[in-house]
Amino acid sequence: MLMSALDAPRRQVAEIDYVLLWSTLLLLFCGLVMVYSASIATAEGGRFTNHQPAYFLVRHGIFLSIGLVAAAFVFQIPLSLWQKYAPYLFMIGVLLLAIVLIPGLGRDVNGARRWLPLGFANLQPSELMKLFAVLYAADYTARKMPVMHDLKQAFLPMFGAMVVVGMLLLKEPDFGAFVVIIAIAMGILFLGGLKARLFAILIVGLLAAFTVLIIVSPYRRDRVFGFMDPWADAFGRGYQLSHSLIAFGRGELFGVGLGASVEKLFYLPEAHTDFLLAVIAEELGFAGVLAVIVLFALLVQRAFAIGRQCVQLDRLYPALVAMGIGIWIGVQSFINMGVNMGLLPTKGLTLPLMSFGGSGILANCVALAILLRVDWENRQLMRGGKL
Amino acid sequence: MVVRRRIQGHRFAESPVLQLALQGWRSRMVGLVLIAALGLLVLRGFYLQVINNDFLQEKGESRYLRDIEVSASRGRIVDRNGDMLAVSTPMKSIWAIPADARQMGLAQKQQLAALLETNLKELDGKLGSDKTFIFLKRQVPPEVADQVAALKLPGVHDEKEYRRYYPTADMTAHIVGFTGVDDKGLEGVELAFQNSLIGRSGARSVIKDRRGRIVEDVGALKPPQDGKDVRLALDSKVQYLAYSQLKAAVADTHAKAGGVVVMDVKTGEILALANWPTYNPNNRESLSGAQLRNRAVTDSFEPGSTLKPFTAALALEKGHVRFDSIVNCAPGRLTIGSATISDAHPHGALTVAQVIQKSSNVGAAKLALAFPPKDMWEMFDAVGFGQPPRLGFPGEVGGRLRPWKNWRPIEQATMAYGHGISVSLMQLARAYTAFARDGEVIPLSLVKRDEPVVHGVPVFSPQTARELRTMLEMVVSPEGTANKARVPGYRVGGKTGTAHKLEGHAYVNKYVASFIGLAPISDPRLIVAVMIDEPAGAHYGGDVAGPVFSQIMGGALRTLGIPPDAPVTMAQAPIAKEKL
Repeated sequence: MLMSALDAPRRQVAEIDYVLLWSTLLLLFCGLVMVYSASIATAEGGRFTNHQPAYFLVRHGIFLSIGLVAAAFVFQIPLSLWQKYAPYLFMIGVLLLAIVLIPGLGRDVNGARRWLPLGFANLQPSELMKLFAVLYAADYTARKMPVMHDLKQAFLPMFGAMVVVGMLLLKEPDFGAFVVIIAIAMGILFLGGLKARLFAILIVGLLAAFTVLIIVSPYRRDRVFGFMDPWADAFGRGYQLSHSLIAFGRGELFGVGLGASVEKLFYLPEAHTDFLLAVIAEELGFAGVLAVIVLFALLVQRAFAIGRQCVQLDRLYPALVAMGIGIWIGVQSFINMGVNMGLLPTKGLTLPLMSFGGSGILANCVALAILLRVDWENRQLMRGGKL
Repeated sequence: MVVRRRIQGHRFAESPVLQLALQGWRSRMVGLVLIAALGLLVLRGFYLQVINNDFLQEKGESRYLRDIEVSASRGRIVDRNGDMLAVSTPMKSIWAIPADARQMGLAQKQQLAALLETNLKELDGKLGSDKTFIFLKRQVPPEVADQVAALKLPGVHDEKEYRRYYPTADMTAHIVGFTGVDDKGLEGVELAFQNSLIGRSGARSVIKDRRGRIVEDVGALKPPQDGKDVRLALDSKVQYLAYSQLKAAVADTHAKAGGVVVMDVKTGEILALANWPTYNPNNRESLSGAQLRNRAVTDSFEPGSTLKPFTAALALEKGHVRFDSIVNCAPGRLTIGSATISDAHPHGALTVAQVIQKSSNVGAAKLALAFPPKDMWEMFDAVGFGQPPRLGFPGEVGGRLRPWKNWRPIEQATMAYGHGISVSLMQLARAYTAFARDGEVIPLSLVKRDEPVVHGVPVFSPQTARELRTMLEMVVSPEGTANKARVPGYRVGGKTGTAHKLEGHAYVNKYVASFIGLAPISDPRLIVAVMIDEPAGAHYGGDVAGPVFSQIMGGALRTLGIPPDAPVTMAQAPIAKEKL
């Protein structure tokens, strides 16, 4: 299908969104390099890696290959098919989230039960759930468009589904995924036209809840806002963040050079996953951080541009899917980078497309492939073609 | 299309155009909020990396910038001619993090055990430790450490250290001493001069990873200051002579122990200091206390007749007698109170000089009883008895010199010939400088002295000293007690000592044979003191210690190029014989 499109004689417009494609590939490639750089010391010094320096590089490379193959496959699937199966995928996601909690099936790492062992790798259902949430929330919103003004009909069913998913995620616990999925669902509902007043109420309600929390429980306040001053407890709760910030400070404008990070030498935990940006900041400096942020901003901008294109083409579901993916990538990358820079409390969340982690990479690749597909379908329609 | 129809079916008051699909402002707003959020990150990143990086880098440095000690190499110990007596050679210590090192395979362990010259069982025992750091072996030669490093074993590391090597080994063991593994002086000069030998370690600033390994060398903070060399007064050739002669003599006489001190009369420098038994400081695995003892300095003994010259000198100094005054030593016994002093060979009337020459106890006792105890005590004190010679050696003793107020006449009489008083061989040799140097006792020095002449404490007049030298020379004449102490080509003088040993509170039939002498008599340059502890068979100082003295003194004089002063006829024959 792709090949025939490329061979088409009329070629005044590009066949696919190259900005989106190259931004994605660039982020994936930089991710591979930085995962290797960030993990090399841990891998060489670790017993579980059998002291192989390329332990994480090899695995990340394999995940990436799987992700790209999956993306190529997914690109062939029309959006209509996704919409048709979205509710089922969502249910499968909920099921997996439930299974992961069953003792003996879910794998426990550091007190969190987030992984399902598959033999050759571990599956992280919450990563897949982010994708399913986009697909399902878009379908739900598209279906409920006529009743969007009615809170009871438009909001409550989704609210119920989110309560179920949220509880399962918090049970793991995976607070990061919880935040991202809630953001995706609420974002798509908002785009779909759910009353703005509701969101205003929700925001005010959240602020009020935080205020109450701060007043009644100084302990919880410290837990939530401890990130604001990591130096107060630099060797305790602030340990990870303080080392992340040091990495940023050491990087200066152009970094200490690829491979020369000191923070990754056992100081910064999770350097190749949640705190990959800190290593980028140290080795490649502000220039590297800026490049990463710009690439993510491009992804978000393209996602919304593609979404708006869909709106013009009267394609409601693809529009919501495209913008939902934009929200996902935007929110998750913002939270991850914000955590790295000490703007947000430390919660386990990876940097999309870059951090080490098979399920995350797979879900991200598939999501971007769907986004490219939406765009491709748009271009087909604009040329007067049919789907 | 289905969707659209449904929407139209539920239309209310709103504009149909807006309701057809999504409201544009919403998607624009969400997109804008996300881009703005990412923009906020850019600002935050700029603040952290460009504006506030000093603060963060400082925090970072406090975490992993470490000052490490750069060890200074220990100073060498050399003899007066610059010959090496103690040098530091670079070595390695092999250490391990047991938890990591346990990862080694059997073959790797076997290789390591072979290189470290240990067995698998012992290695496993060490690696079984629950400590986070253990030494597998210290003082490993660098090439062996390189071989270990080449195996790339998990958890096995090495570190630079120094090993002290003593080229002259057991010959200079007691004077040089030795260091422990941490470069700390434990004995001898190594201990006495620890502070100047050790130097001051410098510091380097390095970045360490969290496991403590150095990943980057930032630069030197303070260069290490290597320890200063110590140049001893010791002369290796003289030392060799003293050591080998002593060793031979102890073997010949089946003695328990022995000691030799060779001293420069002009400067007070110790040219040689040898003890037997000794040890090899390079290999101290089976070391006994007896081997370690620097007897010449740390052990005091009753010197016996070697003290008689002091009695005679005091008698001359006080004007009680002259050189040739007659002392009646018949019938070879003298009873004081309930005790009787006797001579080994009864003598009749002797001159003062002959009392020394023949070593008459009775004569010495009679001379001593002529002056008040205080005078005698003051003389002993002035020549340095009862106080350590302050060479700086560990464990120097001062011997025993009891306060004169308690002296009974019999005690004063026995002290005249060296009993009831104890000294170390070093003290005794030093006291003889009074005779060698026209009456003054000089401070001693272990290290080479730059200025040749030192002024000591005058004890006797130059006249007395000269007369004593004549007496001492008579001792080695055929009529004296130590004819075997003669040195061909040189005029020498000295005094024998044959002292009963005191065990508990009684004298037993064990002896300390000694000979202290000086040469050349015309202008004394050297003092050689020899002490042989418990010789079996012959036990007279003249017979046991005299020949040792002769060999050492003769060799030392020639080695140091001191011109002979004996009449040509006497000197020629033996020298010619030696040259053959």
